[in-house]
Parts: sequence; C-alpha cells; structure tokens
Amino acid sequence: MKNMNVKAFLMLLPSLSVFGAFMFWPLARTFYISFFEWNMVSPVKKFVGLGNYAALLGSPLVHRVLGNTAAYALILLAVNFVVPYVLAFVLSQVVKRGRALYKGAFFLPSVISLVVGSMIYTWILNPISGPVAIAAQRLGLSAPIWSKTEGAVIVVLSLVTSWKIFGYNFIVILGGVSGVSSEVIEAARVDNVPLWRIFTDIVLPMSSATGVYLFVMTVVQGMQFLFTPIRVLTMGGPNYASSNLVYHSYHEMFVVYRTGTGSALAVITLLGFAFLLFLEFRFVEGRVYYES
Amino acid sequence: MSRRAAIGILWHAVLIALLLAMFYPIAFALSNSFKSISDAYSSVMELIPSRPTLENYSRVFSRLDVWRITANTLFIALVASVFKVLTSILAAYAFTEFSFPGRGVLYFVMISTIFIPFNVTMLPNYLSITSLGLNDTLVGVALPQLCDATGIFLIRQSMRTIPRSILEAARMENRSSLGMLTDIVVPLTRPAILSSAIIFFINSWNEYVWPVLMLKSKENFTLSLALQMYISSEGGTEFTVAMAVSVLAMLVPFGLYVMFQKFIVSTFTSSGVKG
Repeated sequence: MKNMNVKAFLMLLPSLSVFGAFMFWPLARTFYISFFEWNMVSPVKKFVGLGNYAALLGSPLVHRVLGNTAAYALILLAVNFVVPYVLAFVLSQVVKRGRALYKGAFFLPSVISLVVGSMIYTWILNPISGPVAIAAQRLGLSAPIWSKTEGAVIVVLSLVTSWKIFGYNFIVILGGVSGVSSEVIEAARVDNVPLWRIFTDIVLPMSSATGVYLFVMTVVQGMQFLFTPIRVLTMGGPNYASSNLVYHSYHEMFVVYRTGTGSALAVITLLGFAFLLFLEFRFVEGRVYYES
Repeated sequence: MSRRAAIGILWHAVLIALLLAMFYPIAFALSNSFKSISDAYSSVMELIPSRPTLENYSRVFSRLDVWRITANTLFIALVASVFKVLTSILAAYAFTEFSFPGRGVLYFVMISTIFIPFNVTMLPNYLSITSLGLNDTLVGVALPQLCDATGIFLIRQSMRTIPRSILEAARMENRSSLGMLTDIVVPLTRPAILSSAIIFFINSWNEYVWPVLMLKSKENFTLSLALQMYISSEGGTEFTVAMAVSVLAMLVPFGLYVMFQKFIVSTFTSSGVKG
C-alpha cells in the first residue's frame, strides 16, 4: 500500500512541480503583489493594503472596462453558445445528413492563430479598400472606421475571437446534444410535440451538463482569447473602449508598470472565473462528477 | 413529408451559408496572397486571381528569415507538446490506477488550473524566468508550458474506458505498473494521446501572449511575432505580403488538422463535458 502511494506520487511529481512553479506559486505571488505599490524594477514595494482594490472599484475607467467585459461576454455567448446549441439540435434532429462533414468543416478555423485571424479581418474590414467597405459602397452605404468607433470595436473584436471559438464549441455541444436519449425524443415526436418544445423541454435539460460547461468555458476562454486581437489591433483603444479585464491588467502591469493594480485586476478576474467554476459545480454535479 | 423536406433544405442552406462565411477569410487571404499589390487593390473582391504571382512569397522569404522563425516556432511547439503529453500520461495514469489519500481533491485542484486566467500568472512567471536568466530565450518560452490539465483530463477519460478485465489479467502476470502503462494502457489510449498531442502542438504553434512578453530580439521571433510586424488596425501598407505571411503561418496547423481531423473531432465529441 505504502509502495503504491510512493509510485502514484512519483508519477504525479512532474505535473505537480510544473503546476507548482508556474501556476500556484505565481498565483500566490500575484495575490501578494496586489497589496503593494510597485513599478516592477524598484527594490522597494510599498504596502498599501486593500488600497489598490479600493482605487480600482472607485475608478470610472475600471467601470468602463467591466462594462466592456460584460458586453464581450454577451456577444461571445450569443454567437458561440446560443447559435451552436440550436444548430447542434438541428443537425441531430432535423437534418441528419452531412453531419460529419459539417463538424469537420466548422472546426477548421479553430486551429488558426488569432494573430492570423486578426490580420485577415482587419483587411476584410478595411474602411477604404476592404471587400466589406466596397460592398457597402455599392449599396450606397458607408462602413464606419470600426477601430475608431466605440461599440463597433467590441463587435469586431468579438467577431475575430468567435471565428476561433465557434467550431470547437459546436462539436462539443453536438456531442452533448447527440447524447440525449433518442427514445425519449422519438416518443415525443410520436406524440406530435413541436420541435421547438422538444428542444426546450427535453434536449436543453438533458444536455445541461455539457451546456453549463460550455457556457462557462466560452466566457473563461473567450476573455483570454480576446487579449490577442485587442493587443495586436487596438491596444484597448479608442479611449479604452475595447479593453477587457484581462487586457487591462496586462496594460497596468506591462505598459504603465503599476503591477499592484494590475495584480489586483488579475485577482478580480480570477474571482470572477472561480464564481463561474462554482456555478458549474452547482449545476453539473451529480450529472457528471458522480460517475467518476 | 414534403414540408419536412423543405425545412431540411432550408436548414442546409443556413448551415452552408454559415460555412461559406467562416471559410471566406481563408479564401480571401489565400487569393490575395497570389495577387500583385495593384491587382489586389483594384480587384479585392475577386477570389480567383486573374494574374497569379508568387512575388509576395518571394518578398516574404527575402525580407524575413522564414526558416529561422519557423525553426524557433517548431522548437517551442515540440518541447511544449512532448512534455505536456508525457506529464499528462503519467498523471492520468496515477489518478486511474492508484487510489491514494486525497486523490479526489488533488485531481480537482489540478483540473481547476484550467480556470486560472493567464493574467494571474504572467507577471510572476515573467519575473521568475527573468531571474533564471532565461528572458528572451526559447527555453524561457517553453519552460512554463510543460504541463496541461486538459491533457490530464482527456487522457484520464480515455484510460477509464479500458475494461477492468484487461488490467486485472495484466496484474495477475505480475507486471510492474510502469510496464503496464507502456505495454497496455498507452497503446489502448492512443487516439486520446495523439489528439492531445496535436492540439497542444497547434496551440503552441499559434501562441502569442507569452512569447510576446518573453522574446525581444528578432532572431528569437516565432511566427506569431513575425506576423505582428505586418499588422495595425488600419492594415498597414503591405496588404498582399501580409496575406502571404498569414498563409504561411496557417499551413502547419491546417495540414495537421486535415491529417488528424478524425481523431481530434471524435476526442472532443466523446470527451463528454470537458475539452
């Protein structure tokens, strides 16, 4: 028995040491730094207690960033959670042909780098020579300079990020929806229950474990994926209109060297994610984790 | 019946329209990378270049050290994916094969690292790597990425589907745990291991955040960083060259995906909840 424990420990040692050194130790350090004022190079850190947090919560700029973060989350969820959910249902119940083909094809953009995606989209959306602007011109419309327009900038960056997330989400939710017992659905069909009711009353609750997981992951991954298009395209601008929590903490740490407030923002991000993780466990527990 | 068929066709139309929209950016980059700059501006909508040229690619190769950049990217991606797979196999096996005190809690703690956003770890990791003297090195980029909870999860899920009787039989033969792992468990979980490896490789190939913090000198640049020199929100001036660089950066992930598509898609579909 003892011997077994030693073996298990030795096998876990590599992953534990990497996680320890580059996940948990940094996590503790970020938490620690969030109580100080420090410009990353100075030998002295000035202890300010909860000062950084208080300053952040009172700052209109941070309120703005939080608002942007919420707007991003809503758009990402609409595009990458609601739409794939409905399409997965359609593909499993309404049109059954071509499923493997759609799955394989939708996933393809997910393997392309966000930097590449950002680059291609800036050219497609170029306000003077891009195809969207030209098409709009032919229709007598004018495309806005999206990178200088508040609101539009969030929509465009969400679009670039969705290009990466959509396919992955689609195959995961299709897996969940396909797992719903076909006997139950057949029975409902025989009883002439309309399709949309089958979706809302049978498929949604019975695939909720995958659904909740995907909901949480869309926000958790999405907020981090957004960093790349924000960093390479707008740097959070114009006037912080496209910054989100993750980008803003980077901005504080590595652009203006206020590591204390940057770390406090990171801790706030982590708390938000931890809350989502808690939600996932509340809902998913019993459906998934009990079997393990 | 005919109404059902009509609805089916309608949905196919919706799905195909969506697919076309998702493929448009790829076609756009590909076609414009083969146009001369003046052609590209006068006929940006044309998806098939009327006078195809390789001048953008030759310009990329003459201006950037493409081989060096690719080698840097490859080095980091190989180190990261090989280590991630090895550490994941060992950890997944420990969680499947042994029961030890605190197993459930430890598994939960390790898997929950998926929820730690990178902005929480990047500053301390930057400081640690710098104090190790590895700032602006490829090793410094790879070092924090030698383990991944997603791999532990996917591979463990797959290990749990191995029938107990097979493992029992092997135990009767008095095989060592490590022998069982290499001779029985790993061959039986190959699809999950392979698709984790491919996904890790592609992710690392595309990685931007951490390399951009770490790497300063051009000779250490990876593909993502080289690409970035061609971007600004207004698009910069070298449209067709930028498209050629994009196409080059897409090639490897694209090829890998086409080759291993079946494994990757089925691993994510059947992994149940997590990916």
